[in-house]
Amino acid sequence: MTAGALALAIVLLPLLTTALLAMLPRTRAAFGHALGAAVLALCTALAVWLCIQVVPGGAAVQGPHATWLELETFRLGVGVYVDPMGALMALIVCLLATTVLVFNAWYMHGDALAGRFPWQFCLFVFAMLGVVLSDNLFLSFMCWELVGLGSYLLIGFWFHKPAASDDPEYQRLKGKDARGVLEHLLSPSHSQLKAFVMNRIGDAGFLLGIGALLAAGIALGQREPLQWHELALIAQSRTLPGSFLGCSGSGWLTLAALGIFAGAVGKSAQFPLHPWLPDAMQGPTTASAIIHAATMVATGVFLVARSYVLFTPDALTVVGWTGGITCLLAAAIACVQWDLKAVLAYSTVSQLGLMFIALGAGRENGGQAAGIAHLFTHALFKCLLFLCAGAVIHAAGGCQDLQRLGGLRRRMPLTAVCSLLAVLAIAGAPLFSGFYSKDAVLAAALAHAQAAGGQAFGPFLLACAGSLLTGLYMLRWWLRIFVGSERDHEVTHHAHDPAKAAAAALLLLAPFTLVLPWTFGGWLDHALAAPHEPELEGAHERALGIALALFAAGAAFAVAVFWLLPARGRDAGSVLARALRPLHVAGSELWGIDRLWDLLGRRWLGNGLAKITAVLDLGSAQRVAGLDEQGAARAGDLASLDGAIDGLGRGCGRLGRVGSLAHAGRLGVYIAIAAVVGAATLLLGLLR
Amino acid sequence: MSDTLSSCVLVPLLLGALALLLPAGAGPRLARWLALLGSMVPLVTGLAALVDFARHPGADFRLLASVPWSRAIGAAWTVGVDGIGAAMLALSGLVAAIATISAWHETRHPRAYHALVLLLLAAMNGVFVTLDLLVFYVCWEVMLVPMLALIGVWGGEQRRYAALKFFVFTLAGSVLMLVLLLALWNRTPADGRQVKVADSLVTSSQPGPPTVYGLTAVPLDNQHKEWIVTVPRDFDLRHLALQWRSWEGERFLGISLAAFGFLALLLACLVKVPAVPLHTWLPHAHVQAPTAVSVLLAGILLKLGVFGLYRVAWPLFPLQAVTHGPALGVLAVIGILWGAWVALGQQDCKRLVAYSSVSHMGWCLLGLASLTVAGATGGMVQAVTHGLSSSLLFLLVGVVYDRAHHRRLDGFGGLAAPMPRFCWILLLAALAGAGLPGLAGFVGEFMALSGGFTAGGSFPLLAASATLAVVISAAYLLTMVRQIAYGPLRHHEQAQFADLSPRELCATVPLVLLIVLLGVWPGPLVDALRPSCAALLDHVRSALP
Repeated sequence: MTAGALALAIVLLPLLTTALLAMLPRTRAAFGHALGAAVLALCTALAVWLCIQVVPGGAAVQGPHATWLELETFRLGVGVYVDPMGALMALIVCLLATTVLVFNAWYMHGDALAGRFPWQFCLFVFAMLGVVLSDNLFLSFMCWELVGLGSYLLIGFWFHKPAASDDPEYQRLKGKDARGVLEHLLSPSHSQLKAFVMNRIGDAGFLLGIGALLAAGIALGQREPLQWHELALIAQSRTLPGSFLGCSGSGWLTLAALGIFAGAVGKSAQFPLHPWLPDAMQGPTTASAIIHAATMVATGVFLVARSYVLFTPDALTVVGWTGGITCLLAAAIACVQWDLKAVLAYSTVSQLGLMFIALGAGRENGGQAAGIAHLFTHALFKCLLFLCAGAVIHAAGGCQDLQRLGGLRRRMPLTAVCSLLAVLAIAGAPLFSGFYSKDAVLAAALAHAQAAGGQAFGPFLLACAGSLLTGLYMLRWWLRIFVGSERDHEVTHHAHDPAKAAAAALLLLAPFTLVLPWTFGGWLDHALAAPHEPELEGAHERALGIALALFAAGAAFAVAVFWLLPARGRDAGSVLARALRPLHVAGSELWGIDRLWDLLGRRWLGNGLAKITAVLDLGSAQRVAGLDEQGAARAGDLASLDGAIDGLGRGCGRLGRVGSLAHAGRLGVYIAIAAVVGAATLLLGLLR
Repeated sequence: MSDTLSSCVLVPLLLGALALLLPAGAGPRLARWLALLGSMVPLVTGLAALVDFARHPGADFRLLASVPWSRAIGAAWTVGVDGIGAAMLALSGLVAAIATISAWHETRHPRAYHALVLLLLAAMNGVFVTLDLLVFYVCWEVMLVPMLALIGVWGGEQRRYAALKFFVFTLAGSVLMLVLLLALWNRTPADGRQVKVADSLVTSSQPGPPTVYGLTAVPLDNQHKEWIVTVPRDFDLRHLALQWRSWEGERFLGISLAAFGFLALLLACLVKVPAVPLHTWLPHAHVQAPTAVSVLLAGILLKLGVFGLYRVAWPLFPLQAVTHGPALGVLAVIGILWGAWVALGQQDCKRLVAYSSVSHMGWCLLGLASLTVAGATGGMVQAVTHGLSSSLLFLLVGVVYDRAHHRRLDGFGGLAAPMPRFCWILLLAALAGAGLPGLAGFVGEFMALSGGFTAGGSFPLLAASATLAVVISAAYLLTMVRQIAYGPLRHHEQAQFADLSPRELCATVPLVLLIVLLGVWPGPLVDALRPSCAALLDHVRSALP
């Protein structure tokens, strides 16, 4: 099969599976999971074949293409496009999807709603593959929104759960120091809404970017703008005729790029649009494994990399700084979280920040390659981390509190080993995949800082700080769950490793946390076209040393504070928390960002403005309740649009009543009027 | 063939009269079948015409027929459809059929009810198919009467207020249209006017001299680039459009006749669209009307405003359309954002959906005002798809009201457990309203946006402001879904609610299928609408100096 046909098959198979599973009434969960996993395994095999065809050559392949909308000035189409980056991404997505679905069959065993998971999952995978393998920005946008739909459905999977403030299960299982979370707004149904709306904020920017590129393409005479090769032409053109929203030339390109980046900020949960991600932990852990590891959040990074030609140096600066701020911010929060899924959620936000730091470094500094490499390695070890977290939660009867877990490595050895491998990978331990990709990120950021100087050092330093904290909080996470004594025996005494297929899923992913699969023969560097200029070698060596130092420092600190000292009876963690109290509180309160969004977004701009406009439109609630045909006047009625119109009507009525005085039907009145009018006319006539 | 379009008006009219004459015994049950039959005629005709336009795209009017009405004043029963008219006709038939299914078990005066619906349908179809301005005006006004009765008699608590407000508001808006009719008549010489016409409008297909819309054309020069046509004094819209230059020159009430005419038509149409600030009749009318009447109101009546702009205002007064385009764009964006924000704060879900209609119709206006093919076609596409999604939303709100007898959002919660099918369809309708790609609502919105972004002047800024609405619409629609469907079951008596009955499924499923179909495969609809919109824009742009 040609690469194009293969890619088309890979995209459409999950869609067909969704349709099939959704149409069948009362699908049994086991059948649904089996069919879904089989189809996704087939897709994985096809993706391997696709990679073999596309990756060694390094060239992009245009697949089948069709016109979707013909609009005379331009047209919009749908089609398939495969390049090495896309093929590898598709492979990773399919592999992780298969693994997660197999794991979920065990994880959701016995859940009454489990039958819905496979088809929602396949819908999500279809949309993700659509973004990765599409041949134009418009189709990517459509699939991007469908990714949002898939995540909406999966986050709100247990839609009937009440808000955390009303949920006795949540109150029983939550940590005693849990704070920062707005509990009356925390439930699957709230979180799915929050995720969708926050993503939409980014998408509004994305639409602006698309509009800018459409206008640019048409200005250059392109018949079907928004295709990747057409966008490359726009980026290369030195003179764009005219202007768009006051920006011309490279400013136009920067605007377009920032628009696309705004979408990525929403989708990849970067500051300030990150609060939806930790709330999305309300969904099943397996959904988080796919949404918050490999797919949805990676879409933003992937799209920025895909449209990289459009990113001018100004745009890249914004990308780098946003990534940097997010990286450190989220890492600081993750250090003080007690919910094991919250740690992973903030860790994901932080690692995505790292990817954007890399992307902000520019192609000549190896930024694009580093960002994508970290995306790939992160997808695999984060998915593994989430699956292990799922195993732990399942084992602990739903408890997610790090204060109550502990010493589980004796009862769950497989999970402990797999998660340790993943933790070492994310912390950047040598010989692990994370070390390789994190080193690349730091090297790119350093090279960019050295080349550009000044403010460009900011993202690099933020990356270093974030990496240091990563080792710290991830090892804290692992040590608190698996090492030490069992803090709450009631919670952990039933714990055991996952059963056969689920355990196989974990074992399948574990080898990818090691560095060898990624660096064997330098195939990944070659596939991502990582530059090897001699100027970069210096930055590479320095970054290597820095990365090693950061890992060593973070790991040593974590091991000391969270294992060795507690083993000797010293609660170093609490001492540290008291010593760094302001930072600890700030981190626990999520830097107030959630509360700020709730205040500014939901309460003021949302409900507040809605109330004001409603009163200006229809008037007060009493007015609306008391409307009748006569439209009796009430004080303050005229202050609303509707009231003003009613006032107009009443005014006309009053005018009519005044006029009707002349038709009183009383002869005396008529004679009086006639006399007055007659006398006046006579006078006027005499005076003329 | 030539009588097909007239039958779209006459058949519902006759069936309506028949429904009134039915005997008291079987009459009520038979009346609803007559209503269903009456709505099938425009549905089938419209669909057939739409398929024809999709297969053989063109900007011409098809299924033409003309019967003189009054030779003295030049009025005639001239009918014809282009792509836009065909789409509107099909939509009107579909929505009327679904409204009838929704009102299947109407118990209060059912014969009168269905007769009024048929009369309403006949008048609305009259507007869609006619090519004569006088007939247009007559039908435009006639449709107010059945709607007044439908809201005023079969409505809710404040029905009289809402019905009267709707009637007077809409009538006041179209009063100037009557003045315009008289002014146009008055300013045309009795033996017609000679107009220069470009070569593109001349057809020489049939034996005989070349013609323009049936009027003999005489070449002005040897190259046959310009022709002279003697346009008689009549109300044919196509003839009136040819004379737009003369309307510029005439004075009326201190301004040019064209400016007055544009203002008059704008007022009439913007009340119906509805554009902020002339929209306040809509929430009352929708909330007080019964479900089926709301569906008719949202599904068809609102489209008449947009249709009037496309069919009458833009062709007759192209220079004003160009000059005032940006101002209309601003009005459109205000409407989009205002409607969305007011909807966000509503606790009554029917009023919420009513304001979402205000917001969505703003997209049609934005698309048309941008004067790009993408925008103008998108405006029409949005009109069609909004007719579908908004009808579906009103049906669903009606279902919930049937079960609970109230519409307060805080009085619901967790209905996904007793009514799963209902909640899935509710989610789909909300996502369609929020413009999710893959569902019908996205196509029109994106086309209108891209039209705005690719137009000149201030339109990119207007389009950028309008993108805010994608956030707000997702917020209010999905909040409505959350409050109705998700979370724990808040009121235990609601656990007994029945899911959608077969009749309710009959009403909602066709809409669901169409929304998905048009979302995934909008090509044929766009191909049918595009040539007419492009021809309209060519005509408008020809007014530019």
